[in-house]
Amino acid sequence: MLSGYWIFAPEVIIVVGAIIALFGDLLPGRDRTAAYVGAAIAALAAVLAATGGTAGPMIFGQVEPDEIARFARTGIAALTAVWALWVAGRGMPDERRRDAVALALFAAGGGMLLTMAEDLIIMYIALELSTMPAYVLMGYRRRDVPGLEGALKYFLLAMLTSIIMLYGMSFLYGISGSTAFVELTLEGSGMLGVLGVMLTLVGLFAKMSAAPFHYWAPDAYAGAPAVSVAFVSTVPKIAGIAVMARLLHAVASDVGGLVTIMAVVAAASMLLGNLAALPQSDLRRLMAYSGVAHTGYLFMALAPDTAAGYGAAVFYTIAYAVPSMAIMLVAAEEGAGLADVGKLAARRPLVAWSMVVWLVSLIGIPPLAGFFGKLYVFGSALNAGLVWLVVLGVLTSVVSAGYYFRVVREMFFGEEPAGGVSLERAPAASFALAVMAVATVAIGIGASPLLAALGVVLG
Amino acid sequence: MPLLTLIVFLPLVGVAAMALLPKDRPELPRLVALGVALADLALVGVLVAGYDVGGGMQFVERHAWVPEAGIQYFLGVDGISLPLLALSALLVVLAVLASWNISERPAFYFAMMLLLAVGMNGVFVAFDFVLFYVFWELVLVPMYFMIGIWGGPRREYAAIKFFLYTLFGSVFMLVGILALYLHPQGGTFDMIALTQAGLPADFQWWVFAAFFLGFAVKVPIFPFHTWLPDAHVEAPTAGSVLLAGILLKMGTYGFVRVSLPILPDAAETWAWFVALLGVISILYGAAVAFAQTDLKKLVAYSSVSHMGFVMLGIAAGTPEGLNGAVAIMFAHGVITGMLFLLVGMVYERTHTRMIAEVSGLSKQTPVAAGMLAFASFASLGLPGLAGFPGEFLSLVGAWRSELIAPGYVIAAAIGVLLAAAYMLWMVQRVVLGESSASVAKIPDLSRLEIGILVPLVIITVGMGVYWSSLLRYVDPAVTTLLAGMGAR
Repeated sequence: MLSGYWIFAPEVIIVVGAIIALFGDLLPGRDRTAAYVGAAIAALAAVLAATGGTAGPMIFGQVEPDEIARFARTGIAALTAVWALWVAGRGMPDERRRDAVALALFAAGGGMLLTMAEDLIIMYIALELSTMPAYVLMGYRRRDVPGLEGALKYFLLAMLTSIIMLYGMSFLYGISGSTAFVELTLEGSGMLGVLGVMLTLVGLFAKMSAAPFHYWAPDAYAGAPAVSVAFVSTVPKIAGIAVMARLLHAVASDVGGLVTIMAVVAAASMLLGNLAALPQSDLRRLMAYSGVAHTGYLFMALAPDTAAGYGAAVFYTIAYAVPSMAIMLVAAEEGAGLADVGKLAARRPLVAWSMVVWLVSLIGIPPLAGFFGKLYVFGSALNAGLVWLVVLGVLTSVVSAGYYFRVVREMFFGEEPAGGVSLERAPAASFALAVMAVATVAIGIGASPLLAALGVVLG
Repeated sequence: MPLLTLIVFLPLVGVAAMALLPKDRPELPRLVALGVALADLALVGVLVAGYDVGGGMQFVERHAWVPEAGIQYFLGVDGISLPLLALSALLVVLAVLASWNISERPAFYFAMMLLLAVGMNGVFVAFDFVLFYVFWELVLVPMYFMIGIWGGPRREYAAIKFFLYTLFGSVFMLVGILALYLHPQGGTFDMIALTQAGLPADFQWWVFAAFFLGFAVKVPIFPFHTWLPDAHVEAPTAGSVLLAGILLKMGTYGFVRVSLPILPDAAETWAWFVALLGVISILYGAAVAFAQTDLKKLVAYSSVSHMGFVMLGIAAGTPEGLNGAVAIMFAHGVITGMLFLLVGMVYERTHTRMIAEVSGLSKQTPVAAGMLAFASFASLGLPGLAGFPGEFLSLVGAWRSELIAPGYVIAAAIGVLLAAAYMLWMVQRVVLGESSASVAKIPDLSRLEIGILVPLVIITVGMGVYWSSLLRYVDPAVTTLLAGMGAR
């Protein structure tokens, strides 16, 4: 009976790992060792999540560790491991690293639980568990006042949207008398049901930084350390998309017009994100708006309420998260201004070329991960008849090439930044970046097994 | 032996090698690049030798790649692919030689050139749409860097303009590819299977429009051509050669390979439109070429004009027209390659490309002047040289086609006259006349430079005299293609 619960081993291990990392300063090597231990445990959790198999609804139907959840959990744990490895190698600016690793592991645990949530309460708790540590990460530099301001903004807005979401959930519970996704029956509930779903979704829209609920992201990111942004802007998105797929699937058939709402939000996000990213000269702001845009692509896949679309969206989050995290980690090394990566190609050719791979993948150029992500996203939307949305999607992805190539231009044709400090050697951090560069290529060329795991079939 | 895989991916070995070469030996990258390019050309030679002229598509390699989406690794070669693949392999060798004296970051430069070669070779032999798209987009990044780092004064602008314009076109092509796959009667990325799909006509129109954008920007057809003068003028010589010689042909190849056989009804309906834009490109390109004071821009605009003839031949949809279109594609690659090489050689000596400042070459540098005159005659379509058969056949094909009004053909024929006029006028000013100050003391072509040009001269004469040296490969493939279109 209890043996079935082995499937939650990754979540248990990653939370235990967080606690070990937090108190790991008693180990020889202290702070650094603790961070490495955290990274190793996250990696172990990723392996267990990948190999742990799947199951139907468990714990009174409150969670369902199915294929999509397995994929997303593996992705979350693996990215957390890579991020923690980088932090262990390079360190956090002016602060201890093991706390950051511990926070990330807690957030990852929450995120992994979130991907399996089949119940409003579980969803809410998991969502809070995954975002609470993020508040601390965003304001990680205690003496940095503008950073704290950004963190405070993030905290207040996240709280506000959580409350709106909770309010919406209360409607859903009131209508259907249950908090389980499968028991949400909104037929005949009229405007009340629409209101409940909309309020719940608005909370998720804001957390995914979808337009027009994206205003917090650029300010909050620009105030935070780039290394925190690397985590906060990517890993929670994987979990969020997975749970949105579940929730939408549960309510889409009852609430008419959800397809239209998702499509409009997707269109607004793609347009706003891509256009607003064009003039940015801070990499964190640029990537914040790029994140808004990619949320648009993700929503395009969620909109049609098809299994293929949900699978495509989850695949796309990974294809988005890997390069985005990597770019922000490079920004953490080199400085977050666009000019800080000037002539990076001359100083660190391998890193510059990896950046090219990540940026080009985000545009969606084959044979990299982002291309296959877009192929499936566009395919699922086109199959649902959302031709206008696909056309808008391809057009805005051309626009995105404009700002991603500003970064390339800066790295290859730009000026050497003045007063640059030479970077210490940090093999672990470089290895983490190399892993992400290889992954961006490998997820593209070797998309087949991943798609098979997700059960994605184009068309 | 997977010969096509070897041909396509051998340059990738060179790319990897460039990263490993010692930094203090700047002469190594060009030797490696030349070795790889020659080996690739030799493999193409093996391919041509083993090619059965009447045998349809050959050297097929077909493996599942992403079975979940029906994506295959599907390579093959037919009579339309073969000349373009051979041209690509040859021009890469010559481009390496023409870049022999590149001193700025040579390893990076040759790595980009070889990466470009992977994309160019691959496009012509890929028969799965996703694979085709992979190779199609693969050329963007290396060409961006070739223009952006080793180009002229406005290189950064030209590089990003090239990138964004072609990306704009190709994303629509991606939508078209997906639409074909998702259509109940399509359901595959297999470019051969799709020719037998029998898609409904109104659906074909939309897909045709999507592919049209992708191909038209690449060709480029008026009014999608505005990236071309910038890219050509700013690109280094070898970049211009490959851009004009191969990259433009990817667009026209797409029309031949995709728009005609897979979307035959739409191609028939829109033939007048494609022909119209083709004729406008012919006349517009020629007229603008007339006005140029920059030698390289003149050659660039002449390309727009010549590609218009290709489009006219394709729109005709007749055996003559398609044979002519492929013949121009090949010949234009050879002849314009020659012209760009010569412009580059003159520029290296005089540091100017202004026609007024390089006049009177014949007295100072008779060999260069002779070569330039020869290439110009070939370009204007002098009978007996390679430019003639294609333009002749494409005009005949268009004349015989029921889809194209005679007026278009007459207008295109005027374009032939215009080409003769602007080319001869250019020859008159540059080759003949009094030597200007900047050409007073320049040396004539070196042995290496002559060696680069000679193969192109031989091909130009050979193909001009003996048309079927090329057309015996093309014609059976064209017949098969048209038979497939007519069968439905």
